Amino acid sequence: MVTMTNSESAIAGEILRIARDELGIVGEPPPPDAALASALDSLQLLSLIVAVEDRFRIVIEDDDAAETRSLADLARLVAARTDAALIPAAPEPVP
Amino acid sequence: MTSPHPAILSVGRALPPHFVDQETLITSLSAYWGARHFNVERLADLHRAARVGGRHLALPLVEYPALDSFAKTNDAFIRVGSELGAAAVSDALSRAGVSPGDVDHLYFVTVTGISTPSLDAKLVNRLGLSPAVKRTPIFGLGCMAGAAGLARASDVLRAFPGEIAVLVSIELCSLTLQRDDASVTNVIATGLFGDGAAAVVLGGGDRAAERAPRILATRSVFYPDTEWVMGWDVVDTGFKVVLSAKVPEVIQSNVGGDVDRFLAAHGLARADVRHWIAHTGGPKVLEAFRRALDLPQAAIARSWRSLAEVGNLSSASVLFVLGDLLDADEARPGDLGLLAAMGPGFSAELLLLRW
Repeated sequence: MVTMTNSESAIAGEILRIARDELGIVGEPPPPDAALASALDSLQLLSLIVAVEDRFRIVIEDDDAAETRSLADLARLVAARTDAALIPAAPEPVP
Repeated sequence: MTSPHPAILSVGRALPPHFVDQETLITSLSAYWGARHFNVERLADLHRAARVGGRHLALPLVEYPALDSFAKTNDAFIRVGSELGAAAVSDALSRAGVSPGDVDHLYFVTVTGISTPSLDAKLVNRLGLSPAVKRTPIFGLGCMAGAAGLARASDVLRAFPGEIAVLVSIELCSLTLQRDDASVTNVIATGLFGDGAAAVVLGGGDRAAERAPRILATRSVFYPDTEWVMGWDVVDTGFKVVLSAKVPEVIQSNVGGDVDRFLAAHGLARADVRHWIAHTGGPKVLEAFRRALDLPQAAIARSWRSLAEVGNLSSASVLFVLGDLLDADEARPGDLGLLAAMGPGFSAELLLLRW
C-alpha cells in the first residue's frame, strides 16, 4: 500500500487530470504504485513528463525520470521540486 | 511465358539549396515552442536524438514565419516542388541516357502537398514529356511510396517490356510544419523530416541496360487494424502528424517474417541478400528494421548516413539510399538486393533486386 502526503496526493490527482484532459490519454488510471511504463507507451510517458514540467515549472532530469517508476514516484518528485504555490489544493476529506 | 524483369536504369536526386544545420533549426524552433514549454532543452534533446545533422529546406529559413496558412504552404509546395521534381527527373533521365520524349509512364508520389492538376502534369510541360505519357499520381502512401511507386511501375512494365517509366517522389516535409503544435509527437517529427526529390528511370525487360539491377519481384504487406499508427490529421493549417510509439514495435514484430516469406517464395534466404536498401525512417525505425532481420550495422550504413546528411525525406528517402548504392558501383553481377520501406496503413513494400 503506497503512502503519500496530502500534497503528493493532490499532485498525483493533477497529473491524472493532465493525462486525461490535456494529453487525451484514456483508460482506467493506474494505481499510484503501478509502473507507469505498463500503462503508457514511450511517447505518452515523455509527453506526460513534459506536461508535468510545464504545469509545475520544474525540470525533470533524465536520471530522475529513469528512476520515476510510478505515479506516486512522480508525485513525490514534483512535491520535492515545485514551488508550494503551484501545488493544487488537497481534496476535501470525504465525510 | 515469364515477362522479362524490368530494370532500374538510373536514380536522380535533387535537394533544395537552403541547408540548415540541426542546431540552427533547434534554435529557430525553440522560438516557437520555448514559450509553451518550461524545459525547452528537453525539446532540443529530442531533435538531437534524431541523429540528423541538418536539413535542406524548401525555402530560406526566414521565409517560414510568413507561411501562416495551408494555402500559403501548399502554394510553396507547388512552386518549389515543381522545380525540385523537374531537377530530379532531369538528373535521372540524363544518367539513364533517356530523352524526355521517350518516357511512356510517369508515376508521381508525395504526401506533403496537393494540387490538381498534380505536379506530374507540370513536369510534363516543364520537361517536354510526350503528350501520350500515362500519368499516375499517388498520394497518401507516406514514407512507403518510393518503394510502392517502384513496385507499381515495374508491375506495368512487365506488361510493356519495351517501354520506359519514370517514378518521381517530391517531399517537402518542412512545409507541413505545425508551428502551434508543441506536442512531443510534432517536436519529434520536426526534428526528423527533411525536403528533397528523387526520380527513378525504369526500363521494361527489353530496354534494360547491362549493369542495371532488375526488379525480380515485389510484395506488399498490409498490417490489419493499424491505421492509427501513422498518418496525417488534416487540420485548418494543413497536415498534422500522427505518429505512434508503436511504429518500431510493428516493424520489429513483422518485418523479419515478412522478408523471410518473400525471399522464400523465390527460393532465397536473408543470407543471400548482399545489399539492404532500407527507408531511413529514423533511429528507432532503422534499429527495429536491423533487429528484425538480425543484420549487422554495416548492412544499413547507407541508410544511417543518408539520415544524418538530409533527414527522413519520406518517400524519397529509400530512393536516395538506392541512388547512393548505384553511385558507389559496389554491386556485382548476380548480387541480390532487398529494398524495403514502411508507411501509413500500416504497411510495408518489399522489392527483390538482382544485378
